[in-house]
Amino acid sequence: MVAPPVAFLGVFFLFPLLRVIYSSVAQPSWTLGNYAKVVDESFYLRSFWYTIEIAASVTVLCLIIAYPLSYTVASSRGRAQKLMWILVLVPLWTSVVIRSYAWLILFQREGPVNAILLALGWISEPIKILQTSAAVEIGMVHILLPFMVLPLVTAMVKVDVTLLRAARVLGAPPFKVFWRIYVRLTLPGAAAGCALVFITSLGFFITPSLLGGARQTMAAMMIEQAVSVFLNWPLASALSTVLLAITVTLYLVCARLTGDEAGMVAK
Amino acid sequence: MSASGAVTVQGVKRRLGHGFLRAYAVLIFAFLLLPIALIIPMSFSNQRYLTFPPPGWTLHWYQSVIDQPRWLVAMMNSFIIGVPTALLSVLFGTLAALGMARGGFRRRKLLLMLVVAPMMLPHVIIAIGLYPTLVNMRLEGSFAAVIIGHTVIGIPLVFVTVTAALRSYPATLDLAARTLGAGIWRTFRRVTLPMIWMGMVSGGLLAFATSFDELMLALFLTGPGTETLPRLIWDQLSFALSPTLAAVATMILALSVLVQGVGVYLGSRRVVIRRTAT
Repeated sequence: MVAPPVAFLGVFFLFPLLRVIYSSVAQPSWTLGNYAKVVDESFYLRSFWYTIEIAASVTVLCLIIAYPLSYTVASSRGRAQKLMWILVLVPLWTSVVIRSYAWLILFQREGPVNAILLALGWISEPIKILQTSAAVEIGMVHILLPFMVLPLVTAMVKVDVTLLRAARVLGAPPFKVFWRIYVRLTLPGAAAGCALVFITSLGFFITPSLLGGARQTMAAMMIEQAVSVFLNWPLASALSTVLLAITVTLYLVCARLTGDEAGMVAK
Repeated sequence: MSASGAVTVQGVKRRLGHGFLRAYAVLIFAFLLLPIALIIPMSFSNQRYLTFPPPGWTLHWYQSVIDQPRWLVAMMNSFIIGVPTALLSVLFGTLAALGMARGGFRRRKLLLMLVVAPMMLPHVIIAIGLYPTLVNMRLEGSFAAVIIGHTVIGIPLVFVTVTAALRSYPATLDLAARTLGAGIWRTFRRVTLPMIWMGMVSGGLLAFATSFDELMLALFLTGPGTETLPRLIWDQLSFALSPTLAAVATMILALSVLVQGVGVYLGSRRVVIRRTAT
């Protein structure tokens, strides 16, 4: 029964993937020249490093923002909870291109964000928001936040409240109860959310292209440019292979930490 | 039990904490939803440049979307690609889920990795590998090319939802049907299928939505005649930030809220039905 899907994915996924790795060393002739280029030109290495940095900071921001929000969703009941669930899901229904476009409007020099900051008197003249890392991070957090909230709420709903009560009765101060019990019990959800957000961030293209500038070039943009601007497929293959290696490595690290290889994906 | 005074102080504290959390939730929901909502007034703005709030209102941008047939063509293309993608994903994803949940065979883990990997990898890597492969098959620029690409990323979505549905009921039910004399096909149609049906539908919807929104594979695999909606929006974005895009975005937004809203409504009705049934 698994033969048809495995054949399909073998031909249209696994084979193309192996082909990327193959052509990164076999084109134009057998060479490591493509990788030499990746290492030699500081732009490529810097971009990979920048991608990891952005992915890490977006993950941390998502976790910090999502944790109290998830707690609010998990601890409310009935209609309020259902409404909050829908509000978390609505952004997922809207296209990533459109959401990034919305931030593009918001962050214009004459845009609403600058207007609000001016009105509040926090700045005296419009500041440049677009083409900064902050713009890219805000846009990415906006898109990825629901992916952190979903596993967190799932973990929080499962927490046995009597454990918390027992700890309180036994004399533990509230903060200790929160830290030693609640946080520990919801750790798997947080880990799953972090893994999901981090790995997804590594492949981001639309948001950094629209909201960032040349200095905010992330890995996927660089690979796309290697093809569309430089028409250099072997180089694109080498860059893809490096990104693949980074993604797989981090995936395995995450799987180790969460102690669960595919379940993490299945939420 | 503590003294009544302490209880009140605690109660007040708790209420304050709740109020704070509620306020925080409102703030974050505003962050999530306001930027999306902002597009709607922008699409009615009478200003060519995006200024907010708009000084006046017009339907001009909607008119210009309707006047340019390429928007309609792109929308059609997105459906022509999205529907077969969903159907193929459901077919392959369900087969994979059934095969792996029920058949106990070796190398299960390896197969699992193969099926879910497309979901985890950056699309650009898949695109870089798939493009030359499809060129070799002389499929470049065809609808089939994008459908294939989108099905690769659609299969794991269906696989995950159907696997979840399969786990929600004991495999002994299938076994019971078999011992009572039902054939394999009949067991599937009368027992397994009704149990995993919702998983297949929601997985298929996910696959459709993903295809409808996907840009990277579309950039590599669509040609002049097969441009999808995200690709056309993307190409237009590099020209100008005209409110025409806001009008298109508003129309897509309305469409997806409608479709998903119906989905949620049907979903919650099902839950209610199931609850009253048990």
